[in-house]
Amino acid sequence: MMQKIFLYVSLILIYLGLAKALSPTEVGVNYLPNEKGFAKILPGKQVTAILTDMHATGFIIKTYYQKYRVIYGFQHLEEIIVRTSRDFALKNSKHIGMSLYRRLDGKESTIPMPPGTNFIGQREFGEWKAIKDQEVWSFYRAYKNLPKYFGWGEFKPDREFYQAFSIALEQKKPFFGNKNQFGESGSITIANFPHFFKEKNKEKKSFKTLLLDYLKENF
Amino acid sequence: MNEIFDRLLIRILLTSFVCLCLYIYKFAHIFLYPSHKKQTLKLFYPSANPADTTHLYSRMIGIAIIYSSLGFNEGIGFMMSSFHFIVWGTLTSFIYLISLYIMESIVLSKFEYKDEVLKKGNMVYAVISLTHSLAIAIVLKSIVAHSENSMIILFILWLLSMVIMGFVSKYFSLVTKLSLNKLIIQKNLSLAFSYLGFTLGTGYLMAQCFDQGHFDITMYCIQVILKMLLCLIIFPLFNIGLKWIFKANITKVESGSSETEQDMQGYGYGIYEGCLFLTACLLTSLIVNKIQFGTIYPFF
Repeated sequence: MMQKIFLYVSLILIYLGLAKALSPTEVGVNYLPNEKGFAKILPGKQVTAILTDMHATGFIIKTYYQKYRVIYGFQHLEEIIVRTSRDFALKNSKHIGMSLYRRLDGKESTIPMPPGTNFIGQREFGEWKAIKDQEVWSFYRAYKNLPKYFGWGEFKPDREFYQAFSIALEQKKPFFGNKNQFGESGSITIANFPHFFKEKNKEKKSFKTLLLDYLKENF
Repeated sequence: MNEIFDRLLIRILLTSFVCLCLYIYKFAHIFLYPSHKKQTLKLFYPSANPADTTHLYSRMIGIAIIYSSLGFNEGIGFMMSSFHFIVWGTLTSFIYLISLYIMESIVLSKFEYKDEVLKKGNMVYAVISLTHSLAIAIVLKSIVAHSENSMIILFILWLLSMVIMGFVSKYFSLVTKLSLNKLIIQKNLSLAFSYLGFTLGTGYLMAQCFDQGHFDITMYCIQVILKMLLCLIIFPLFNIGLKWIFKANITKVESGSSETEQDMQGYGYGIYEGCLFLTACLLTSLIVNKIQFGTIYPFF
């Protein structure tokens, strides 16, 4: 009897091991244990990684996945999916739509910031323009698509925003915008990352509604 | 009307053609099994030896099962489609007979066809042989359908199926309480029923595991192996569950071991075990092959 139980448990372990090793979802997915792991998977001098989506799979043993939009200064943007640790996933659960990693001329930063902050104030990408009574950051024509990639919508960063995130960076504190426009409850993020919020706010149907829908469809 | 008549004529011609292929198969059978010459060359008396009848005609059913997976594509021309059928018909018949030979060498290695069937008329041996014929045919049918007219893919899938079938035949001794070799010698039909249920069930399971879409042959083979491993995990659960739900009084503790053994060797026990195995295999197939997880998890 014990021999049969041992054989059965071995069979389950072999199956789980083989299925995991050969699963198509596991192939080509990088593992990001924490913010220090970004440096290994993201090349380039000017780069920022924006968290665009996240979810967990598994009822008992959970695996956490995050999706990033990686924007380079001088290359096309790319989207990457990484497997991550529980701690890192939970730590960044409220940082949707924010940049979790930036590199500017070799200098790295992993403090959660609104997307594109490492490009603001950089003369090779744009300039400050006076509009009405305030100065706003404007990208050059060659980089006109960057605000769209950052998920800014109509947002134009001004001097006040620039100073606020510079102070937060110095103090090494996460920054959600001077009017809390970014992050999970930020108005700009909600407007520009609809896919994530659509999934999150999916209406939960009652059992009665589900049953009625089923009967309607099948009979 | 002309077209309809032509189609009917083509169907009748192709029916004769399939019969011709079966005739060729009959002689291929003699070539591979010289000891069966008497069975096929002389006039056969079905009532004279029921074991021999079972043994011979089960192969006929098997070959018909495999042929049913082939087809005629008249779009490429009558001659070419007939040629395609004869090539694939011969190939599959050949593979089928080799598979039978391998399986019988594994399971019935201690027995000789001449002694058991021709001399002793052993029905247990014949039923086991019938079981192999049907199970292999069911598996080969699935393999032929998924080989996409490629002989290399057919060969790879056939090798894989033979390895799995070899392991599955050894698995029988783990799940049954009946002794295979001992009960064949005793001509005990209990074993035949139990083996029939188990092998037909596992044959169906294997066919279902091979029945999946494929783009890359390596990944396809891995998926098949994983599904078979999953079957090995699920099957015992159903087997235990069914035994618990449909409780049967088999072990009589007070009457001693000899009586228990006698009880197990009755026809009824074999039918009971065979039914359990077959049911467990069919339900395992449901769990392994028919669950569509779809979007159970959110996706990016």
